[in-house]
Amino acid sequence: MSATIGEHEQYLDGPLVDGLSSFVAAAHELKSPLALIRQLSLTLEDSDIELTEQKRLLRQISLTSERALRLTSDLTRSIRLSDALFVLEPINPKQLCEDIIYELGPLFNAYNRDIKITSQKHPLLLIANRDLLRRIIVNFSDNALRYAESNTAVEININTIDAGNTVRLGVRDYGPSVSVDVLDSLSTKLLEKSFANISARPQSSGLGLYIASQFADCMNGKIGFIRHKNGSTFYVDLQASRQLSLI
Amino acid sequence: MNAQKILIVEDDEWVSEQYSRLLQKANYSVKITHNALDAIQSIDEYNPDAIILDMLLTGSTALALLHELQSYGDTGVIPIILCTNLADELKLENLKSYGIKKIIDKTRMKPDDLVLAIRSVLS
Repeated sequence: MSATIGEHEQYLDGPLVDGLSSFVAAAHELKSPLALIRQLSLTLEDSDIELTEQKRLLRQISLTSERALRLTSDLTRSIRLSDALFVLEPINPKQLCEDIIYELGPLFNAYNRDIKITSQKHPLLLIANRDLLRRIIVNFSDNALRYAESNTAVEININTIDAGNTVRLGVRDYGPSVSVDVLDSLSTKLLEKSFANISARPQSSGLGLYIASQFADCMNGKIGFIRHKNGSTFYVDLQASRQLSLI
Repeated sequence: MNAQKILIVEDDEWVSEQYSRLLQKANYSVKITHNALDAIQSIDEYNPDAIILDMLLTGSTALALLHELQSYGDTGVIPIILCTNLADELKLENLKSYGIKKIIDKTRMKPDDLVLAIRSVLS
């Protein structure tokens, strides 16, 4: 998916936060799920709550904990990137996205949202590390869930761009779009190569983007976003596999 | 006697459900909105007695909504309780001119705090 008239597309191709900022950002990002878990737990102490409601609250605690743990896991992974070698291999993006939808299905169901793939039947394979790419798309999907309007589906789009040399995996939400002032700030910081505290949405510290950009760098890829009139697409561009051309 | 009406402006669905449950249990009438734009429309239609507002909202910050509310005589007098994870970084004195009557720290609040705060601002 590329930007059309009235939309704005922007690569995020630099270091997004410095070391100290990333600690602050991590603390900020973890505050929300931890505060929610605490609230849900305190509510459970109320003896008036029916059993079905208790089960629902416990499910919410479990899913919120998993979201927080994903963040800590991604953060740990991003810090250790320089210590490890990552195998890049041809990957079927559709299969990978189907696995992600299976993984995130319970979370989306709990929020009464849907998540689906839009892709041609046989998209080109791409070159990536399976684990890092999965983390990027899970991160974008989790982010989209927070902003998608009710009764809308989050879409994972798989497209080939750049004359078949690049595969773009984009996660599209239908919700409030990135505001113009935030977009201006983002663009300015992109130009200045100063990304401290950058974020594409007001309630986000930008840590998720920071981690995703680091993962993409390791795979010679780039992340970016498209601002639509009715939502946003966050995407990662990766090299298409040349396997077919060798046959 | 009609129940007093509370508008909850909170982008996290599960958090807003918690607030709603607590307030309804205390016999308040509750309406939930998840962003600032919807909140403005809801304020017109619902005419709340008080507003519980999250600081960081999808689409714009709460400050944009507060500016809007302060622009009109009738909405400018609605007491607002700010319920936020950023309580450590905010000072009530600096926000009183926006109609903020209380700030509740989401990371430390207990279930009773919300009802007590509402009672306090509506008394």
